[in-house]
Parts: sequence; C-alpha cells; structure tokens
Amino acid sequence: MREVIKITNLEYVYPDGTHALRGINLNILEGESVGLIGPNGAGKSTLLLHLNGILRQKGRVEIDGLNLEEGNLDKIRNKVGFVFQDPQNQLFMPTVFDDVAFGPINMKLAKERVKEVVYEALKEVDMLYSIKRVSHHLSFGEKKKISIATVLSMSPQILILDEPSANLDPAARRHLIDFLKRLSITKIIAGHDLELILELCERSILLDKGKVVADGNTQIILSDSLLMQEHNLEVPSCLKADFQKKIEERVSL
Amino acid sequence: MHLPEIDKYAHLKSIFHSWEPRAKLVSFLFLIITISLLHNLISACAGLVLAVVLVFLSGIPFRFVFKSLTWLFLFVLLFFVIMPLTVPGRILFKVGFITCSQEGFNIALLIALRAISIGLLVFPMIGTMEFHKTLKALSRLKIPNRLIQMIMFTYRYLFVFIEEYRRMTIATQARLFKRRTNLSTLRITGNLISMLFIRGFERTQCIYDAMVSRGYKGNLEIIDESKLCCKDFLKSSLIIMAALLLNFSKFVF
Repeated sequence: MREVIKITNLEYVYPDGTHALRGINLNILEGESVGLIGPNGAGKSTLLLHLNGILRQKGRVEIDGLNLEEGNLDKIRNKVGFVFQDPQNQLFMPTVFDDVAFGPINMKLAKERVKEVVYEALKEVDMLYSIKRVSHHLSFGEKKKISIATVLSMSPQILILDEPSANLDPAARRHLIDFLKRLSITKIIAGHDLELILELCERSILLDKGKVVADGNTQIILSDSLLMQEHNLEVPSCLKADFQKKIEERVSL
Repeated sequence: MHLPEIDKYAHLKSIFHSWEPRAKLVSFLFLIITISLLHNLISACAGLVLAVVLVFLSGIPFRFVFKSLTWLFLFVLLFFVIMPLTVPGRILFKVGFITCSQEGFNIALLIALRAISIGLLVFPMIGTMEFHKTLKALSRLKIPNRLIQMIMFTYRYLFVFIEEYRRMTIATQARLFKRRTNLSTLRITGNLISMLFIRGFERTQCIYDAMVSRGYKGNLEIIDESKLCCKDFLKSSLIIMAALLLNFSKFVF
C-alpha cells in the first residue's frame, strides 16, 4: 500500500512560546484507520491542523506525494477532509444545503454536479431530509452528521476527525461508529473516546508533549496500563476485563 | 433570552411569501425610499396606511410586528419631546418658560409617520422569506460579497452568541450571583461581556480554519435557483405604482 501521509521532523511553536510539536515523524498508508490519542495539550489538534495546511512552520508534510506548500494547498485541501470538534464552527452557512455545497463550490464544480454531490453526501449520512433546514436549528447529533457530510461532498481521500464523539448521546455515537466503519477511505481520528478508537482503528499513535510516544496496534497500546497511566490515559474498561485473554490469543496466533 | 428571528413567519402563505425575493426586495426598497422622502403630512399618513395594509396582507401577526418595533416607537417618541422645544415657529402651548412650536410638532409627527411606515414595511419585505433567501437575493442583486458575508455571519452567529451568553449567565446564577445595583454586579457583568468577546474571537479563528480547510479564499458563492415570473413583475409593478402615487400625492394635498 502506498503512503498517503508522510511527516518528517515536524515542529510547531505557538506565538505564546508553547512548543506543541517536537520533531514528529509519521507515515500513514492508504486505507488505514489511525487513532491519535494523548492527554490534553499533547499536540493532537495541532498535528491534525498541519495535515490540511492550516498550520505550517518547520518540517516536511507530504500528502499523497504533494509537499505542503502554498502552490499545493488547493489540491491538498481537496484530498483531506477535516471535521472539526465543534460542529458550530463547521456549519457556518445559512442552510444545510449551502453548508454541504460550500466545499464543492470552492472546488469549482459545475452547479449541477454540486447539487449531485450534496445529495450524495447527505444521503450517506442519512440526513437528506434536512437539506433545506437552517443549520443552527439542528440537534447536536444532526449537526455532527452534517459536519461529516460537508467534507464527504468534497470526496476526500483522507478523512480527519477531531474528537468525533464529543457531546454525542450513546445512540448518535453508535450511529457515527457504524457509519465510519462503512467508510473505506483513510481515516485519522483524534480523541479521548478510546473505546471508539479501539473499535474503528487498527493502528494508534500516542502523542504526549508534542512527541510520538507509541505507534502500533491499537489493542496493544490501549491495553498497556503502565503506558496509559504514564500519559494520563486509562485502559478502556472493555480491555481491562479480557486483556489477558486477548493477548494470549494474539500470541498464539 | 428571546432569539431575534425576523423570519419567524416565513412559513406562512401570502402574496408576499410567494413573491420572488429579488423582485420583492427591489420593489419594497423603492417604496421605502419614496416614503422616506415624503415631506407632506397627509402623504406620510397615506404611507402609514399603506404599510399597515401591506403588513395585514402578509399575514404576519401585528402583535409580533409591534413587539419587534418597541424600540423604534421609543426612539420616535424622543422626537416629540425634542422637536417642539427646539424648532422655532407658531406657539402651540406654553408652560412657564418652555414653549412648544406647532412646526416642531409637525416635523416630529412627519418623522414618526415615516419611521413607523418604514419599520412596518420591513416585515412584509424580509419577514416573509427565510433569511438565507434574502441573502441569496442580495447576492444576485450584486451587493458587495464582503457585505453579504458580514450580514450572514452576524445573523448566523448571533444565535450562538446569545446561547453562550445564556450559558454564562446560568453559570453565574448557579454560583449564587444576583444582579444588583452595585459595583460588584457591574464588575461581573463587565467580565462576562469581555469573556464573550474573547470566546467570540476564538470562535472566529476556528470558523475561519473550517472555511479555509474547505477551500475558502475570501469570496463566498451561494447557489440560488429562484426564478422571476410574470406574477412577480405584476406584484412589483403594483408596489412601485403605489410608491409613485404617494410621491405624486404631494402635488394634490
């Protein structure tokens, strides 16, 4: 499988002097689902913002062979769909249709094609009924689904989700997990919902103080209670119970 | 806190609701400008009657209209205090050294009639269509894109702003804060307002990031599919004719 994201020596310092990223090196393959975990302030969101070219400073980021630089930004933003944590920030247009059409219009698609992709994206997230509704009148779960549709309409190769299950009720969260499972594109999911990451991502990257602390199989990383404790995280309860049993199974395989 | 929804009655059915937004805006703007230029009390009275009739035809409840115009009425009331006292002319009445002039009263009445008529006309003009349709119509009428973006974002995030203020107020009340007429209340209210500005600034940055990640480059394009038909032209002609009649009435009275 080919590499769709290649990060070399990525550094980022915020204007207040906070050193958010310290020499990050990463490769992500096409079709992979990668969980990005870490305590608050670990640099997860800062790293994600680099993948869409919103932040740029020191180091090299390549998206599908394109170096992250001014001339390639449009192409990169077409390839990378970013779903922000708070849907209030993602949904800024007056109606659901306008919000989902925002990206495709900026991609200079023809008017008819824009309508087609909007319908397809809304259908994919089961929200076609809300096409004419006003974005700020939707429930939180609905807003979250529309947020995902706003990037799906751009047919991205890579989907980035920052804390996708934050503030969702259990039913909406389950719906989101099932939906993301069906999506076959490359996914990077950052957050503290470790059970969601366990269910969706075969690989996880643990970030702390701007550095990659661990990178590997999600189940193995999340089951390592020492590693988790050391970085202000907790082994998900579903792993606590049958950790020993599953590790034995894995070893025997 | 009450949400300022001007388009609360956009779902009703009336001759104004089915009117094509561009034609409606242009016709009503013409009528509003005509009324603002009236210098004759009888013509201004006719303008007010016309405005009341148009509000009635729009089906928007008068209670909602008058409630929304409360501040306008209070503002207009000021002119009845200031103008008779400051404009020289025939004495209407005298109390001690204070004299009220007939000319001043007439000017105040003219201002009030024009202001209330214009205030009333805003409802059949904007209140009979969803706000996003107004924006789309403005965009197609070649109003500068920056201005449309400013109106759109102000309207969109006004709800978020009010919601945030409500949450912060609840948080203060939950910690036993009670509004009183003292310095402490003033200080806390000041803090709340400044926090709203800070949060507003942070949210602006997040929204801008979300826009940029979906290809925003400063220009906002919106798809609008409304089409003009004969009925729209007929309605516009009637409104423009009414405006011209008001304008010519000054030669009669």
